Amino acid sequence: MDFLEGVLPAEVNAALEEHVAGCARCAAFVRSYQATPRIMREATAITMPSDVEASLRAFLRARTRAFQP
Amino acid sequence: MTVGVPALEPSDETLAARAAGGDNSAFELIVQRYQARVFRLACRLTSDTEAPDVLQDTFLQVYRHLQSFRGDSRFGTWLYRVATNAALMHRRSDARRPAESLEMYMPQFDADGRHRATPAELQVASCADELLDRRVLVEKARDIIARLPDLYRDAFVLRDLEEMSTADVAQALGIEPAAVRQRVHRARLMLRGYLSDLLGVKP
Repeated sequence: MDFLEGVLPAEVNAALEEHVAGCARCAAFVRSYQATPRIMREATAITMPSDVEASLRAFLRARTRAFQP
Repeated sequence: MTVGVPALEPSDETLAARAAGGDNSAFELIVQRYQARVFRLACRLTSDTEAPDVLQDTFLQVYRHLQSFRGDSRFGTWLYRVATNAALMHRRSDARRPAESLEMYMPQFDADGRHRATPAELQVASCADELLDRRVLVEKARDIIARLPDLYRDAFVLRDLEEMSTADVAQALGIEPAAVRQRVHRARLMLRGYLSDLLGVKP
């Protein structure tokens, strides 16, 4: 992961980059590793239902001075 | 046709200062701006059913502790920290679920240190979102994230799903940046392997 975050020392990074460029397995692995966060992020991007919003308002109205009619 | 100049919206920090001074409409605007994101974070750290409670706790804490926001970080970062704490506190009060090993989803290597899977198999997880039915992927993604060890899940959710910086995640969780990177890395390996397994190939 340090390689992918760019926090490795320069010559270690360069050696790894060279290996990945020439190794089909590692290149494929890196691609799927890098795709994983985006795939999981999009799959869990839930929108807030309006009833949850309404409950939040009612909750805060009862306990704070906000959202008073 | 004339084009109006849009009014500049007040910054989060301006709203926070006003709200701390008793301006309730400023607090309401803060809720409006952040409620969807906090709900999404709560779902990812706990579950869909627990998220509404975490959402409510978060904004109640924000209302009560606005004076303690000193402006030494961005307001959004501070609010996220409050939300993360609310989620983790909520989870702590639940019954402990048994620890599950997800080691079977880790990549496998032969005696020479090479991936056992072929390049084609290793590639497959990159296209999981194209190869799997969306509803299946959504359900499976939620399920597997909830099964991650808590330490990995928290770091992964904040870093990769909420896209916070490693430094902000470290602060939110009270750990070192190196620990954040390590935990996120292990979560990514497990999740990548799980996607491969769903698609019927070796991790």
